[in-house]
Amino acid sequence: MIPENMRQELQNRIASAVTNREAAVDVMKSLQAHYGWLTDEAVVEAAELLGLTPLQIEELATFYEMIYRRPVGRYVIHVCDSISCWAMGGETVMGKIAGLLGISVGGTTADGLFTLLPCCCLGNCGQSPTLMIGDTIYNRVTAESAAELIEQYRNP
Amino acid sequence: MPKLIIDNIPVEVAEGTTVLEAAQSVDIPIPHFCWHPALGKAGACRVCAVKMLDGPVKGIQMSCMLPVMEEMVVSTTDPEAMAMRRSVIEWLMINHPHDCPVCDEGGECQLQDYTIAGGHGIRRYTGTKRTHVNQQLGPYIEHEMNRCIQCYRCVRFYQEYAGGTDFGVMGSAGRVYFGRFQDGPLESPFSGNLVDICPTGVFTDKTARFRARYWDYDMAPSICQECSLGCSITPVARYRELLKIIGRRNDAVNAWFICDRGRFSAATPVNNPLRPRTPRIEGREAGWDSALDAIVQRVSELLKNHGPGCIALVGSQRLSLEGMALLPELSTIMLADAPCYFCDERERVQTSAAVTGLTGAISASMADIRQADCIAIVDVDLMAEAPMMVLAVRQAWRSGAGVYSIGETVDLPCECTAVATLDDVPLATAQRPVIICGTSGFTTARQYVSLPMAKGEPVKISCILPGPNSFSAALFSHEHAAISLEQAISSGRIKGIIAVEADIPPELSADIPVIAALDWRNTDTVAAAQIILPTTAWAEMDGTCINNEGRAQHFRKTMNPGLPVHGLNPAGHPSHLHRTIPPGGDLRPAWQIIDELIVRMGGTRTTEQLNGKWEKLRHLDAEGDGLPIYEL
Amino acid sequence: MEQILFRHNRPGRSVSFAEYRSEGGFTALKTALKEMSTNEVQQSVIDSGLRGRGGAGFPTGKKWSFVPRNLPGPRWLICNCDEMEPGTYKDRILLEANPYSLVEGITLACYAIGVRHAFIFIRRGYEQAAINLRRAIAEANGAGFLGENILGSGFSCDIDVHVSAGRYICGEETALINALEGKRANPRAKPPFPAVKGLWGGPTVVNNVESLANIPYIISNGPEWFKATAATPEAAGMKLFCVSGHVVNPACFELPLGMPLGEIIEGPCGGMRQGSRFKACLPGGASTPYFTIEQWDVPMDFDPVAKAGSRLGTGGIVVFDQNTCMVAATLNLVRFYARESCGWCTPCREGLPFVVHLLEHIENGRGSEEHIDILREHVKHLNQAFCALAPGAMGPLDGLLQHFEDEVREHIATGKCPCRN
Repeated sequence: MIPENMRQELQNRIASAVTNREAAVDVMKSLQAHYGWLTDEAVVEAAELLGLTPLQIEELATFYEMIYRRPVGRYVIHVCDSISCWAMGGETVMGKIAGLLGISVGGTTADGLFTLLPCCCLGNCGQSPTLMIGDTIYNRVTAESAAELIEQYRNP
Repeated sequence: MPKLIIDNIPVEVAEGTTVLEAAQSVDIPIPHFCWHPALGKAGACRVCAVKMLDGPVKGIQMSCMLPVMEEMVVSTTDPEAMAMRRSVIEWLMINHPHDCPVCDEGGECQLQDYTIAGGHGIRRYTGTKRTHVNQQLGPYIEHEMNRCIQCYRCVRFYQEYAGGTDFGVMGSAGRVYFGRFQDGPLESPFSGNLVDICPTGVFTDKTARFRARYWDYDMAPSICQECSLGCSITPVARYRELLKIIGRRNDAVNAWFICDRGRFSAATPVNNPLRPRTPRIEGREAGWDSALDAIVQRVSELLKNHGPGCIALVGSQRLSLEGMALLPELSTIMLADAPCYFCDERERVQTSAAVTGLTGAISASMADIRQADCIAIVDVDLMAEAPMMVLAVRQAWRSGAGVYSIGETVDLPCECTAVATLDDVPLATAQRPVIICGTSGFTTARQYVSLPMAKGEPVKISCILPGPNSFSAALFSHEHAAISLEQAISSGRIKGIIAVEADIPPELSADIPVIAALDWRNTDTVAAAQIILPTTAWAEMDGTCINNEGRAQHFRKTMNPGLPVHGLNPAGHPSHLHRTIPPGGDLRPAWQIIDELIVRMGGTRTTEQLNGKWEKLRHLDAEGDGLPIYEL
Repeated sequence: MEQILFRHNRPGRSVSFAEYRSEGGFTALKTALKEMSTNEVQQSVIDSGLRGRGGAGFPTGKKWSFVPRNLPGPRWLICNCDEMEPGTYKDRILLEANPYSLVEGITLACYAIGVRHAFIFIRRGYEQAAINLRRAIAEANGAGFLGENILGSGFSCDIDVHVSAGRYICGEETALINALEGKRANPRAKPPFPAVKGLWGGPTVVNNVESLANIPYIISNGPEWFKATAATPEAAGMKLFCVSGHVVNPACFELPLGMPLGEIIEGPCGGMRQGSRFKACLPGGASTPYFTIEQWDVPMDFDPVAKAGSRLGTGGIVVFDQNTCMVAATLNLVRFYARESCGWCTPCREGLPFVVHLLEHIENGRGSEEHIDILREHVKHLNQAFCALAPGAMGPLDGLLQHFEDEVREHIATGKCPCRN
């Protein structure tokens, strides 16, 4: 269950949209931020808020890269695997992080702290290789700086 | 009318026609998966590639997406086009399982047909096949997602055409999945059409699973008997069992689809091993001759004791037109009053008023509904009484029609404005307005036919009737000035009843013996009858019925009657008796039994059931659109 | 060198509203609303020769002119900031430095087309750009440059920011419209084109960030001035080139359209990085056929690049050095497209994974001569896809087979990747 003030906020967002559906992505993102991922419960809540059916939410939720329909760690590490980062050694960075976390790409660490996902170009090609943790983008990541980064998030 | 050339054949078709349809019009088949006449173009499968040799568009094009244009020169057999089509099949077969031997779609699978037609036989992709987890979609539809070729027909039908909201498409790229949010029965009352519309075996009819192959089917063009709309269907039978029902195209009536009630509830009573299958006298099995003679004897006794008018012959709204047409003759010969085509007096009065009040000019077909721009629904629960009408209304709404309801609020898969009376509906300013009503609302609706129109056509009416052949019943009832059984009994003169596929309320006939019941269903009337004569069900005979619009439609015999082999006690099978008729198969159409009674009462045998004004219906094409009786 | 969009840039931070205004910001809007008819604004943009900066290069003013002005109901303008083409990051750089040119440009475009309500569709990951834009919109509203009755002209306009949830296909204009409507972002069939039937069925213009951001300068300085900023007489205007890969200084530069490729790499990019020799590049983002040293002197403008067998695309130049395996690079690109397919049409959904499969075989030393034939078939047949995504993926593959067939054959003949140690 989402808190009442959040429900109110989302209802206001929906009311300001041209159609309810227009606000669907915003609603899903808010619910995801609240729950950590878009849980089944969140899908049903989103459907109720938007006047849609859970299936109609699911059709959208499963379309987008950054809507998680499975549990993810507290920090989702999106490592860009597109061409510019690839050219600058992105694969090595990805491999290094997977090794450091002891998981394969797509996996979540046992402590629930990290999920490692490849992602579409982050639009930071001049600073490649690049990755995003939460909303923060990191530039020119190397195997060494990746290790430091993981450490920072582990022990903030 | 643009003129173009397809495979050297000159074609002239209406503006807006696609190249694919233009080719079809001259019998050039172009493979297609996603395109469907009822759903239109999607451009998803890319298998309908043709080569444009000359004209305003050049090169490889998708024929489903391309409207015809003057001076186009099209080749469907150009090597480039064929190579493209072959690629599409190869792509689709990358992930489609090779499970045809255990797939119910085998033999009626478009993918199978085109794969063979295109010559794709060598697998060049050496990776593994994508797999999915299936869902439980309820008792009717089997889900096998691995077979999916992502033509999007299912979701386009389910959501766009039928307005369903619990089934759709999820995921993206190679993980596209068609299903529900979670397991559970499909909610749409039109879900069964997924079976018909899926070009391969993702959705198959669970009720007929693993029972027969397409090439072994008994099939014939038929008419659904579940409500008064008379949708075109193809029943499918094998081994004396009605396996399943497939929707059949009829542009004037149901277009392409049918409802789940028509699809999934019609077979059970036909297959019921316990339905009347042999003549019986007082519960004991009897031969046809003795049962028929017993009826003649009992009728004669009653006539001797009570004089003319003591017998009530009762027809029904599910009896075929052929049976109805013979009943008056039997009445005459039994010195009875006109047959009672209705039991309930109010139903007779209202149905007769509707049927006699309709004319060819004002009676709306379902095609008229789909094309209407203003629809008023007066006091009728369409979902319960005529589900396919709901789908027709939705199509009109999708094209921009306003939909209004008067009386009880109706739950429709489209926007619907509740108003107090028909005066609140903008009928007069519409181009093609239609009122949909039940028999109770007909008289009110009828007044609006003469409404002065601002610019459009006069208001048409579609009146939902109580049964599949109510229209015929009302016509005969009217023609013979017949009264209802209720009224006949209240006169006190009726001493015996002969029921022909009639459902007589037990309380109505409580004090009067039912001498005979001719029926194929186990009804209360059959249970009360002294003599039972088993009739063939609609799927086991040829016949005619008239739908709510007044459209006469012929249905053909799909299967020979008999106890379904499925479910027989294996110990008693095969039967070791010498016989020419299968067990439980010695049934006769009701009209034949009526005819036999006429003969035994001293009348002459009928050589043709449809005479006089019905003569025109004798050669009615069962695969056509039917014939509005206003044209007789 | 003269800068247009980057003229307001401040090192390390975004330009402020006051700074932007003090440097002539919003004067174009004032001029247009006071002195120019809607037609005149549109004509200026047509005359400027401005071509869409999102990739297709369609003339911006001409696009506007397709919008029927007599239909009832609202018209819409959408700014496409779903910049997800690999190798492309110019819109982010621009908006992080200066969101105001875009806000002003959108307002001018809305005035020209008669749009009351515009949307900026921003990709996930550009949160800072979205913050900047929301701030800029609020400031413009407060100063009367947006909202009701702008500068007393009677013209009203609002801008909404929509942040997406990440999917490359949303950048395709009709898919973007579906996404904005809250539907699955499958592309729509064309015709009807968005200009006639787009967002919620209304006439809709979808323009790229960079295209719209240039509008104020065209209005302020005139179309002839804008045209003349290009490097060649055929080109018009400046272009944001964003460079990545094996150069010394991979960054986003505002350069005259028509500047030769080699000059861009040798000049602002500082040349190839130490130890690197130029082998190839993607001249305009992930979907463009490779350029090799043969194309070093091609002027980077729409037509010359097309004539040289590729596309200017987004202006995202990805540079590869001599150690780059072109099979592996192409595999990376096609893999990207296979993953980003929306799943609507067969060639894209099934054909791209087939291509990936073949390239994997070749790259891993398990390729055969037949694979080259199958790849060529795919280049041909994937061009018959529903939208431009799969044909885009075929750009680099086509380039690979044209320029680097020997390299592909070497993989097959030796049974290994020659670039791998």
